[in-house]
Amino acid sequence: MTHSTLRAQKALVNPKTLTQSIRHVLLIFMAIFTLIPVMLVISTTLKTPEDVRVNPFGLFTSFSSQNLIDAWTVGRFSDYLLNSVLLTVPSTLLVVAISTMAGYTFARLPFRGRTVLFYFVVLGLLVPFFTFMIPLYFQLRSLGLLDTLPGAILVLTSTGISFGTFFMRAFFSDLPMELEQSARVDGASEWQIFTKVMLPLVGSGIGALTVFTFLANWNNFLVPLLYLPSGDFRPLTAGLYMFTGGRSLDIGPLAAGTLITILPVIVLFIVLQRQVTQGFISGAIKG
Amino acid sequence: MSIASRSLAPTVTRRAQARLGIVLIIPVMIMVVVFFLIPLVNALYFSVVDFNGVNPNPPFIGLANFERMFTDPKMWAALSNNLIWIFVGTISPMVIGLLVAMLLWSVQRASVVYRVVFFLPYILPGVAIGIVWGWIYDPVNGLLNEILRAVGLGAVARGWLGEPDVALYAVLVTAIWAGTGFAIVIFLSALRNVDVELVDASRIDGANSAQRLWYVILPQITPVFIMVLTLTLVGGFSVFDIIFIMTGGGPAGATEVLGTYAYSNAFQLNNIGYGTTLALLITVLSVPIAIALNRLQRRLSLQGTSA
Repeated sequence: MTHSTLRAQKALVNPKTLTQSIRHVLLIFMAIFTLIPVMLVISTTLKTPEDVRVNPFGLFTSFSSQNLIDAWTVGRFSDYLLNSVLLTVPSTLLVVAISTMAGYTFARLPFRGRTVLFYFVVLGLLVPFFTFMIPLYFQLRSLGLLDTLPGAILVLTSTGISFGTFFMRAFFSDLPMELEQSARVDGASEWQIFTKVMLPLVGSGIGALTVFTFLANWNNFLVPLLYLPSGDFRPLTAGLYMFTGGRSLDIGPLAAGTLITILPVIVLFIVLQRQVTQGFISGAIKG
Repeated sequence: MSIASRSLAPTVTRRAQARLGIVLIIPVMIMVVVFFLIPLVNALYFSVVDFNGVNPNPPFIGLANFERMFTDPKMWAALSNNLIWIFVGTISPMVIGLLVAMLLWSVQRASVVYRVVFFLPYILPGVAIGIVWGWIYDPVNGLLNEILRAVGLGAVARGWLGEPDVALYAVLVTAIWAGTGFAIVIFLSALRNVDVELVDASRIDGANSAQRLWYVILPQITPVFIMVLTLTLVGGFSVFDIIFIMTGGGPAGATEVLGTYAYSNAFQLNNIGYGTTLALLITVLSVPIAIALNRLQRRLSLQGTSA
């Protein structure tokens, strides 16, 4: 890799015009521009409320946890955080389990009619959620699932399984046929081949899908906005939106609420940055 | 491979495979039928009735919703905003993404740090992004106007989201900020797979750096280019979160797109049939583009320039 990038550098760059240091200057400039909004949120959150009013843009000029406490208690962000976890964790587990099972079938267990069923699943990748979100509202209402945690979890799950199935199918398709055949010769049942032989080999795929789905469901705004209207189970995204409505812009607690919403995502991303970027890349390429 | 194995496998094995296969896809099929196919069929039904959300037997009105849609100046205004959004919001991240990826290509030190920083906005929730940028654009207390005044450009300062002729572009800048990191990371991974021998050879043949880029490097990353194009183009038709949060479609409809217009019709004005018809238009516009670009990408990939 190092060798090839060095050669790439030689091949593309004219050292007279664009040196390594000019590159870094440009990149650092871009990086600062990218980070300003995030830094603004963190800095504003950690200021004293007076400092927010008087000196809103000075970075880290004072320290106080008052904004965080206000958002956490008065702003009900503790409830929102709990609801986000209650919505995101089960829906992510469901997406990963359902997609892994379905992906295995569509990759390795042929039967008549399988292709047609696969087309129905993949159709969900093509049709935007908008198209059927309105009828889905009335359907949930008539099923008694509107404004309930299980209803929102099921809808979040359904938004992820088309991509998940497609994604896991690609991983199972890449495994060699010989594995399956030799296990069968050894007397393994089809279920054992799936769980003991194949499943352990797609760990990276399952990991990438888990992170990807977790982020998508944590960030989802439209599903709670539409299907959890009363606000009893409002997650962070919808809570943050409601927090801005109907009040004079109180920047300090708003910044704190924003920080509470994005912090889990940022931590997850930084800890698992390789898996996240690789997941998005292979997700895009396989999709 | 699968055909050969199917004919080789004994009947017992094939039966066992089919049995397990059917069991394993039961959950996905139930979910797809209940939460996707049934509401999708209902969407078609909603578009031909006059449904206000309460009436259990809404009257059949044929194609009246479609007639209304095509004669609705607000729909055309929203659609043209979608097209501006798609045009600017697709080209900018791709051009910026390619340029930054080229810059990063040969950087060894801190390249991971740059990648993490640039990708970070892409994984943030749209609500948080919209709220922070709404604050940056605030006419009185906003960071942007503050900076403009500080550098002597106070005359340019304005209510960025409150003026009809700049609001859409202000939101677009936010969307570009949020989306470019994806293009950067994807293009960078494609560039790392470029055949360097070819680039070297063309340099020896006397190609200058612009020619090397245009004739040697770009053709090799075209499939990835088209893939990013597909994702952003199709996403552009169903843009919702960021506009809904930042402007709600205003001021005076200046940032209204099909998504926000469909939402407000269905959930604020109780024109459920009409809102659904508008949402169907989003599908009708985006699906053919997705399929066409996907075909193109596949054809290019098969020509040996693998993604």
